[in-house]
Amino acid sequence: MSSAIIQTNSKLDLVLERVVDVPRELVWAAWTKPEHIKKWFTPAPWMTVDCEIDLRPGGIFRTVMRSPEGQESSGAGCYLEIVPNEKLVWTSALGPGYRPAIRAAGTGSCEELYFTAIIMLEAQGARTKYTAVAMHGDEATSKKHEEMGFYQGWGTALDQLVALAKTL
Amino acid sequence: MDRVFHGLADPTRRAVLERLSSGPAAVSDLAEPFSMSLPSFLQHLDVLESCRLVKSRKAGRVRTYQLTPQPLKVAEGWLEKQRAIWNRRLDQLDTYLADLKEQKS
Repeated sequence: MSSAIIQTNSKLDLVLERVVDVPRELVWAAWTKPEHIKKWFTPAPWMTVDCEIDLRPGGIFRTVMRSPEGQESSGAGCYLEIVPNEKLVWTSALGPGYRPAIRAAGTGSCEELYFTAIIMLEAQGARTKYTAVAMHGDEATSKKHEEMGFYQGWGTALDQLVALAKTL
Repeated sequence: MDRVFHGLADPTRRAVLERLSSGPAAVSDLAEPFSMSLPSFLQHLDVLESCRLVKSRKAGRVRTYQLTPQPLKVAEGWLEKQRAIWNRRLDQLDTYLADLKEQKS
């Protein structure tokens, strides 16, 4: 089976490369096991309090995050491609079983906008180079999401405050 | 960047920032809409000041706060915001991986 086509767009996507001094299998485990994900996935001061992983195409990837004030927000996406120790692709735009995600305003979702994430691992001796790609839809869509209140916690405040700061 | 997010991660602090966006204000005016104790409220102001989101000035017995818009500009732009989130995420991953490796050896 050939691999899916990936085309990145520098205006919409992020490509982050890191080299870590740990074996590839360990990096893979950190991305694919709930007990590991809970330890690092959510940017502090938010925490991951629950994580569900069904590691197969269409399988669920769900995380529940909690703010320092106890506000919880969850998001469920699904895996698209899994090549053990090499490549992991999931999206927040599709739910489990590839069902298109619907997020009404005010559901408290922490997934700030729909994205597809691609993680690629490459052994470099005892080290591992990993590349994380986060792909987004068009900017207009993301702006609309912001207006509809998809941004929770710091997102909403930040947007408002950035707008305010510009007027000062 | 981390500090900015920490400063914004609380509804009281966000409300204070919104109030200050219309101009400087004294502590008593800022505290007035909130039903919390003054010491608790002052802690929020301390957090905002330590994040450099606001600065304060004392004149006589009155301390006045005002916005320092600079840190917010750092977080401008939705893609930059996503980049910040992913960078923080991967920083945490790399730290965690180093810990895991240490535990195993």
